[in-house]
Amino acid sequence: MKKIKIRIEGLNFFYKKKPVLKGLKGEVEEKAITTIIGPSGVGKTTFLMVLNRLYESIPGCMVEGKVEIELNDRYIDVHRLPVTTLRKKVGMVFQVPNPLPMSIFKNVAFPMRLSGIKDKKSIKDKVKQSLKDAFLWDEVKDRLNDSALELSGGQQQRLCIARAMIMQPEVLLLDEPTSSLDMEAALKIAELLKSLRGKCTLIVVSHYTSLTRRISDSVLTLKDGCLEI
Amino acid sequence: MRKEVVDGLFPAIAGTLLLILTSIIWAIPIGVASGIYLAEYCNLKWKPVFNFLLDLLAGIPSILVGLFGFAVSVFLHKHLSEHIYPCFLISTLALACLVLPYIIRTTEQSLVDLPFFVKTTGLALGASRLQNILLILIPYNLSRIISGIILAIGRCAEDTAVIMLTGVVAMAGIPNSLLSQYEALPFYIFYISSDYNSQEELMKGFGACIILLSICVFLFTLSHLLKRKAAIRFAIHTLILPERKVMFRQNPNIETRNKFEYQMTK
Repeated sequence: MKKIKIRIEGLNFFYKKKPVLKGLKGEVEEKAITTIIGPSGVGKTTFLMVLNRLYESIPGCMVEGKVEIELNDRYIDVHRLPVTTLRKKVGMVFQVPNPLPMSIFKNVAFPMRLSGIKDKKSIKDKVKQSLKDAFLWDEVKDRLNDSALELSGGQQQRLCIARAMIMQPEVLLLDEPTSSLDMEAALKIAELLKSLRGKCTLIVVSHYTSLTRRISDSVLTLKDGCLEI
Repeated sequence: MRKEVVDGLFPAIAGTLLLILTSIIWAIPIGVASGIYLAEYCNLKWKPVFNFLLDLLAGIPSILVGLFGFAVSVFLHKHLSEHIYPCFLISTLALACLVLPYIIRTTEQSLVDLPFFVKTTGLALGASRLQNILLILIPYNLSRIISGIILAIGRCAEDTAVIMLTGVVAMAGIPNSLLSQYEALPFYIFYISSDYNSQEELMKGFGACIILLSICVFLFTLSHLLKRKAAIRFAIHTLILPERKVMFRQNPNIETRNKFEYQMTK
C-alpha cells in the first residue's frame, strides 16, 4: 500500500473574507505525481500556496482546517512547522520561469547559499547533479557563468526545477509549469516530471488534460472551491 | 598659481562634494530602510498615515527645511553648547531631510512594483523574509534604487535655500570639521550673481554655473541609464514571457498548441 504524504481535512481559505476554498478534503500519495485540474480562478494556485504557506506573503488571506505533511513517519500540521523549514521541504515552481538575475550556476546553487552551505566542492557537485536531473546539463555545461536570463523560456523553467530540486525537497509543487512554453519545451518538462516520479512527491496544477493523463498517477479536480477525486 | 586655485572655485567645489557625500551618508540608510519597511513590513492600517507624512515631507519647500535647520542650530546653541552655530553638520542633516522622501519613495515603489512571482522566488526556496529582501529583492532592484539615490544627490548638489540658512558662507574655504562653515557652488553662484565687483568675478560665477550644470547633467544621465537598465530587466520578467503565455492561451488555433495537444495524447 502506498504511503500518504499530505492529508487535507476541512480546509477553508478566505481572501479578504471571501471564501475561495471550501471544506477541502483529500490525500496526496507519496512519491507519485498528483495533478490538480479545474477551471481558471477556482483556486488551484491558492491551494498550492496553502501547502507551502506562501499565501502568508499576501495580505488579507486566512486559512482554517488541517493540512498535514508526513515527515519522518509523523504527520505534522504545516502551520506548526517553521515556515523556512516547511518551504525547504515543500518546493515550488511557478507558472512563469523566474530565474534570478545572476549566473546559471549561482541560480541553481542559491538554495544552498540560503542554507549556509559553503563547501565549494559539495555545491559544485550538487549543482551538476541537479542540472543533470533537470535534463539541462548538456545544454549549459559550457556556460555556467552566463546569465540565467539569457536562456530560453523552456531552459529557464528547467533551471527553476533544478533549483527547486537541489535541496531534495520531499514535495515539489508545480503551478502550470508548461503554460508559458512552446510545445517542444513543454514536452521536455513533461518528460522531466516523469523522471522525477519516485524521487519526490509532485503536485502539478495544469490546464491541459492531455498532459495530466500522460504523466499523472492521480488527478484531483477542483470545482467550486471543493476537491473531487 | 597655487593661490589662484585655492582662492578660486576649488573650496566651493570641494564644499559641494563633501556636502553631497555627507548628506547622502545620512540619508541612504534611513531612506532605504524606510522604503523597505513601507513596502514589506508596514501594517496596512498604518501605511496611509506614513504615506501622508511622507507626502507632506516631500511637499515642504526647501526654504522651510532650511529654516528648520536654522531653528535646530539656534536651539542647540542655546541648550547644548555655545560653540554650535549654523554649520556643515546642520546643513547636511537638513539636506538629508530634504532628499529622504525621494529615496524612500523610489525604494518603496521599486519593491511594490515587482511581480508576485519574483517577490516570492526566495520565499518559495526557503529564504527568510530578511534573506529574501537582502539577497533577492534589493539586488534585483538595485538599479532603480540607485537611480533614486542619484536624483537625491542631484538635489543635494543644487539646493541653495537649505544651505543658505544653515551654514554656507561666501569665503569660508574648505570645511575643516563638521562644525565649521563652508562654501558651496549653488551659494557661490547666488552670491556672485547678486553682488559681483568685477568682470573677473562674474566670469568665475559663470564657471561655477557650468561646473554645477555639468554635475547635474552627469547625474541625471546616469540615473536615466540605470532606470533604463532596470526597465529592461523588469520587462524580461513581466512582459516578454507572459506575452508569450497569453498568446499561447488565447489563440487555440496556434499550430504549436495543436501539436502540443496531439503529442500529449499520443
